[in-house]
Amino acid sequence: MVSKKIEKILPLVQKPGRYTGGELNSVVKDKSKVDIRYAFCFPDCYEIGMSHLGIKILYAAANERDDVWCERVFAPWHDMEEEMRKRALPLYALESGDPIKDFDLIGFTLQYELSYTNVLNMLDLAGLPVRAKDRTSLTPIVVGGGPCACNPEPLAEFFDIFSLGEGEEVSNELFDLLKECKKEGTSKQEFLRRAAKIEGIYVPSLYDISYHEDGTIKAITPKETAPEKVKKRIISDLDTVSYPDKFIVPFIEVVHDRVVHEIFRGCIRGCRFCQAGFLYRPIREKSPEVINEQCKALCKSTGYDEISLSSLSTSDYTRLETLINKLFDWTIPEKINIALPSLRVDNFSDELMEKLQTVRRSGLTFAPEAGTQRLRDAINKNVTEKEVLETSRKAFSGGWTAVKLYFMLGLPTETLDDVAGIADLSQRVVDEFYRNQDKPKGKGVQVSISVASFVPKPFTPFQWEAQNTRDELKVKQEHLLASVKTKKVRVSYHKIDISFLEGVLARGDRRLCDVIEKAWKNGCKFDSWDDSFKIDVWEKTFEECGIDPLFYSSRKRDFSEVLPWDHLDYGIRKQFLIDENKKAYAGETTDHCRIQCAGCGANRLNGGKCDALSKNMV
Amino acid sequence: MRLVRIWFEKKGMIRYISHLDLMRTVTRAIRRSEIPLWYTEGFNPHPYMTFSLPLSLGMESECESMDIKIEGDITDSEILGKLTAAMPDGIHVTAVTEPVFDPKEIAYGEFTLDFDGDFDREKMKEAINSLLSQDEIIIQKLGKKGHKKVMKELDLKPLIFDPAITDTESGVRLFVRLPAGSKTNVNPSLLADLIGKEVPEAVCLITRKRLLMSDLTEFK
Repeated sequence: MVSKKIEKILPLVQKPGRYTGGELNSVVKDKSKVDIRYAFCFPDCYEIGMSHLGIKILYAAANERDDVWCERVFAPWHDMEEEMRKRALPLYALESGDPIKDFDLIGFTLQYELSYTNVLNMLDLAGLPVRAKDRTSLTPIVVGGGPCACNPEPLAEFFDIFSLGEGEEVSNELFDLLKECKKEGTSKQEFLRRAAKIEGIYVPSLYDISYHEDGTIKAITPKETAPEKVKKRIISDLDTVSYPDKFIVPFIEVVHDRVVHEIFRGCIRGCRFCQAGFLYRPIREKSPEVINEQCKALCKSTGYDEISLSSLSTSDYTRLETLINKLFDWTIPEKINIALPSLRVDNFSDELMEKLQTVRRSGLTFAPEAGTQRLRDAINKNVTEKEVLETSRKAFSGGWTAVKLYFMLGLPTETLDDVAGIADLSQRVVDEFYRNQDKPKGKGVQVSISVASFVPKPFTPFQWEAQNTRDELKVKQEHLLASVKTKKVRVSYHKIDISFLEGVLARGDRRLCDVIEKAWKNGCKFDSWDDSFKIDVWEKTFEECGIDPLFYSSRKRDFSEVLPWDHLDYGIRKQFLIDENKKAYAGETTDHCRIQCAGCGANRLNGGKCDALSKNMV
Repeated sequence: MRLVRIWFEKKGMIRYISHLDLMRTVTRAIRRSEIPLWYTEGFNPHPYMTFSLPLSLGMESECESMDIKIEGDITDSEILGKLTAAMPDGIHVTAVTEPVFDPKEIAYGEFTLDFDGDFDREKMKEAINSLLSQDEIIIQKLGKKGHKKVMKELDLKPLIFDPAITDTESGVRLFVRLPAGSKTNVNPSLLADLIGKEVPEAVCLITRKRLLMSDLTEFK
């Protein structure tokens, strides 16, 4: 329960339901009977954090243990932070209302680079020093995980440890170790030494980084117990790993307010720009029987009337028809809707589309990513224009009148012709609508294109590439706008400045720690929110720190350069990424994993197993 | 298919849940309770549910009610039992009845305003008394002029009925009856704000105690 002091300020802030706790299925334990108090922090506001599946999985897994109490913490919105600071009220956990500075373990999930300043702000709001070296006692230990932990170097000075890969099992090992160290009364240093021996745990303070004169990294040297390479953790069998049978049901509306079920991990596609496609390999599928039962339990315990089947590419799940039919058996009578995000254009079957229409119709979204076949080949997005048009045609005869297309600007090898190709392709989708005999009478078509700026990410074939500068991106945006000749095509953009900062942080090294700390001190937080993002402050801060951000974002690296994340092993062989990069420039595609294993190496993490190979093709 | 009226209290932290969020919360609770709901027969079937009179964010209530449509054989006491088990903390189902009055006919609400905090009780009573004894109590209220929103002046004085001041364990309570419903509605927080200006150290908890018809019989 939150304290009386917090209760007093709730009438003063927007959406007080963000700060009350007490939601259905939240876990409250007797604190005198647990050994580890664990604050699981999502460095963004409640509505975003509560939509995240990972937090639900790890929260449930940790709370299965009698000796651990895991609670949730989100970043208070600006107004709440102001009231809390005014009254010197420290950041608290939602379940108990207790200040998190007294907890044993504080975990942050790092989902996107632009949440980094929020991490610092939350530590500070908790009353803790932001730098790991200034937190000298054994507890709290501050741990980071999630996709951005694949290059955690820009945060290395703030965290005690990082957890690489999937957290369900390694969390338990961490709890056990921390419990042991508390009992023995060891120093924090001793805890770190022991933690470094756990597979998947990266202790940044146990590595020395040296630099060449040109600013590139000379060597990354492990110390004491630290391994030369830290290998990410994976869950071998998704059917047996714990999955929550209860989700916390928020009182206030959050972004994804429904049952979410993860049907498989990894991706067979190998789009060269996509970090998630490589980071979550190897492919592991969950069986339809298990998914079905777990969905049933979740609907019962939450009262939700929608299930979303989540994965990186839902239609690549080999037993999708079986699963959907099993689900329909009970979801149709109970009036529960099924949503399938991340469907691909190329294997979107008529039958599937018809089935989904029997419940409720949502919008139709495709991601061709690039405007010309040449560029789609270069990024290995194996979707042809014919397929895009064919699917649009099907959708239009099915009654849809609005289609959303996702593209990126600034992809490697891109020319202005490729940019104009985005407008051409969109125009052809519009034409397809008017060519269609069965189009809905009296209705126009709306093709919305959403254009993001490409950000090169670690562990992708494009990790060596130079990101387009902001000026280059501006030219391309203007060229695209000039190429769109019809009002039927609506264009929206990501902010270039935000993509620029994302690009710097994504491939940054430890020297960015000073920049992030200073930017936060200069008032930067909630950087992923357009209204809160302060590019001028960031620019000033880079200058103050004497750091050229373009060194990180827009410099093409040599394949031989030591990358800041080279000591982290995500299963993907570096040589595979180099080969893929070369193929991009040669305009060669790579078949997806079910046609031909490309030998990325990720199956080594799972004893050679990969469900892309062992399962029959769809 | 039959219509039932569910009566419940909304207390504690859940008072910070808005009306819209409460509707969502209750819908899910009803789904969990597995009460046989009646669904509309349109393209997009949904249950029938309507709340008698929305409650402002931050207020507690002892007299909330909503009407739902039920299908199949289930007694009121079975509904009460199932709903009680399914509701989240802070929502306490008190009764399930047949609706008697139309919620549109609600005319008044009775409220308590509980002032708590480090203040002198006599000073608080003094502040309340002097406010209530003014000839007129003019407040600025956001109103509509056609489609435009404009600030309007409103005299609360003739709209406040039966005020009573009492001591509580930790402060001072003001009881009032105010017009409520779809015709005239006076939010008790307007009064709380005026008093809060005089005694800033006070924290006010407003509770809706009863809803009344125009002849002052209780809404049922």
